[in-house]
Amino acid sequence: MAAEHAAAAVAADPLDSAPLLVGKQDNTTLTGNLLAHVWARPDKGWLLSFLIALSGSGALVLAITVTLAEGIGAWGNNIPVGWAFDITNFVWWIGIGHAGTLISAILFLFQQRWRTAINRFSEAMTIFAVMCAGLFPLLHTGRPWFAYFMFPYPSTLEMWPQFKSPLIWDVFAVSTYFTVSLLFWYLGLIPDLASLRDASKSPIQRKIYGIFALGWRGSGRHWHNYKVGYLLLAGLSTPLVLSVHTIVSFDFAVSLIPGWHTTIFPPYFVAGAVFSGFAMVMSWMVPARHFLGLKHVITMRHLENMNKIILATGMLVGYGYLMEHFIAWYSGNQFEWFVFFNRATGPYRGVYFLMLFCNVLTPQIFWFKKARTSIPIMFIASIFVNIGMWCERFVIIVTSLHRDFLPASWDMYYPTWVDITLFLGTIGFFSTLFLLFLKFIPAVAVSEVKELNEELQHRTAPVTVVTGA
Amino acid sequence: MEHAAEHHAAPVGKTFVLGRFESGEALVDACYKVREKGFEAIDTHSPYPLHGGDEALGLGRSRVPRIALTGGLTGMFGGYLMMVYMNGLNWPLNVGGRPPHAPPSFIPITFETTVLLASLSIFFGLLALMRLPQPYHAVFESEEFRSAVNDGFWLSVCLPSGSDGKDATALLSQLGAREVSTVKESVE
Repeated sequence: MAAEHAAAAVAADPLDSAPLLVGKQDNTTLTGNLLAHVWARPDKGWLLSFLIALSGSGALVLAITVTLAEGIGAWGNNIPVGWAFDITNFVWWIGIGHAGTLISAILFLFQQRWRTAINRFSEAMTIFAVMCAGLFPLLHTGRPWFAYFMFPYPSTLEMWPQFKSPLIWDVFAVSTYFTVSLLFWYLGLIPDLASLRDASKSPIQRKIYGIFALGWRGSGRHWHNYKVGYLLLAGLSTPLVLSVHTIVSFDFAVSLIPGWHTTIFPPYFVAGAVFSGFAMVMSWMVPARHFLGLKHVITMRHLENMNKIILATGMLVGYGYLMEHFIAWYSGNQFEWFVFFNRATGPYRGVYFLMLFCNVLTPQIFWFKKARTSIPIMFIASIFVNIGMWCERFVIIVTSLHRDFLPASWDMYYPTWVDITLFLGTIGFFSTLFLLFLKFIPAVAVSEVKELNEELQHRTAPVTVVTGA
Repeated sequence: MEHAAEHHAAPVGKTFVLGRFESGEALVDACYKVREKGFEAIDTHSPYPLHGGDEALGLGRSRVPRIALTGGLTGMFGGYLMMVYMNGLNWPLNVGGRPPHAPPSFIPITFETTVLLASLSIFFGLLALMRLPQPYHAVFESEEFRSAVNDGFWLSVCLPSGSDGKDATALLSQLGAREVSTVKESVE
């Protein structure tokens, strides 16, 4: 009921900053303006961005080739810093994916209407981010062509995977996450692909979109099952997204390394994942809604709500830092305390303070409505959060390892050009996929926005009657 | 079961009468009335699910939840028993003195296989229930019908064999449908 009231009040409540849909829309105008960017010829801006992104993907291929030809020695990893850029990047990318599932599944279950215009966009981000993430542990195995050893299949080795290892849990968690995200995304996409098929003017487009639309004809008998299936997939994705970053945090928490072996890791990692994911959605959405002409469906209301979530999860992450330090001190364990002392005063203190600045201080600006509704501020803040969350994973991984139990074995980690190229390359690869997505698929779930539009028009009517009487 | 009439009645080329309605509500109302006249093999076509559309078509509970539960339980027991067999029985693996069958360590993967199989069964179960992918359907013979996934609200009536469709056409027009047409499935 509360949700209905909230929706009913959209047009009337003066406290609401912006409506969910701007202007009077109907199914015909929505079909026109939400698909317009797919039919438009790619403009110079898109081509230029695509070219840059594609060069990034090229750099990725180069870095992978060097890694495979030369081995892990091409990276800066050493003993004691056995995990460095690779696992930092892995955790960062996986975390970025989590906002997509949160928006598409959790906000769907809570019937948050503002999710509708941004879910397709962020689900796509999830899939591409997980693809980038998966690359790093795969390469870090050293011989990725044997990576299938991690799957349980009967082989002449007569050996099975070691299921008590968190690293194998990770294999299952990440592959399940990727599969389920892809199915959920594609299922949501089917009606829109049919919409593209039947709105297209050229026979080639009709044929290609027709293949992917699977013959969807908006049948009531189909919708009947489709709605239930979509709801159930959302219900399954919700615990799944929490489990994935929990299991990623187990990679650390289940070990005995001071700085890693803490029980706060699972919730703290999940909060950080949502935090960084929303920041990444923001970084892409601000330019995309401008260039694709989607300002009437992705309104200031959406952006402001996302900034509120960034503020909330930023506070959770800040609380995580606080508790980590408190427990390290309170435990009375000298190794545990040393790790935290070393983070703030050791050779990597620059990264540590950058992390605090980006993750704890930056989101505080969103207490102010002016900042929450200012496009330049939110864009810059989201970039800061992305940087800050990358620094967080670097701090957790590298500073915990580089000064371990015996001072004689202490060492420093410096990334090589291959490390850096690999990381920047995945950003290029991600951008390439994302730009292709923005070009060929509607960035907004057209069918869901039409349904939302219908609901909003129906629900506003009774309210005016009540206030009139 | 609901599909029986539509899919198995006529051995050669089925015929559909199509009509477009003004709005979702008009379509739902018409759907009730057409069913009252005894047409069972009917379907609505709309860009998004219609409010009250399931009841109007007389559809019962969806079978998707049971399919999902079956898949989920298979994943749960399959995943857990797989680990018990592989690490506990077939090749007992001693890692740090932990027992070969270590229930807490098996929980994360059990959870993942549960979600994975439930999701796969939902997705492929849905495709099976919807009989998709279906590259060809007679309704696409009408070019106007292509608005059904964009901004049109269409009703399709699959004619019983031997019917010339005059009664259905008249009924749809009387209910306020526009662009009423008859399409024949092309049989090759």
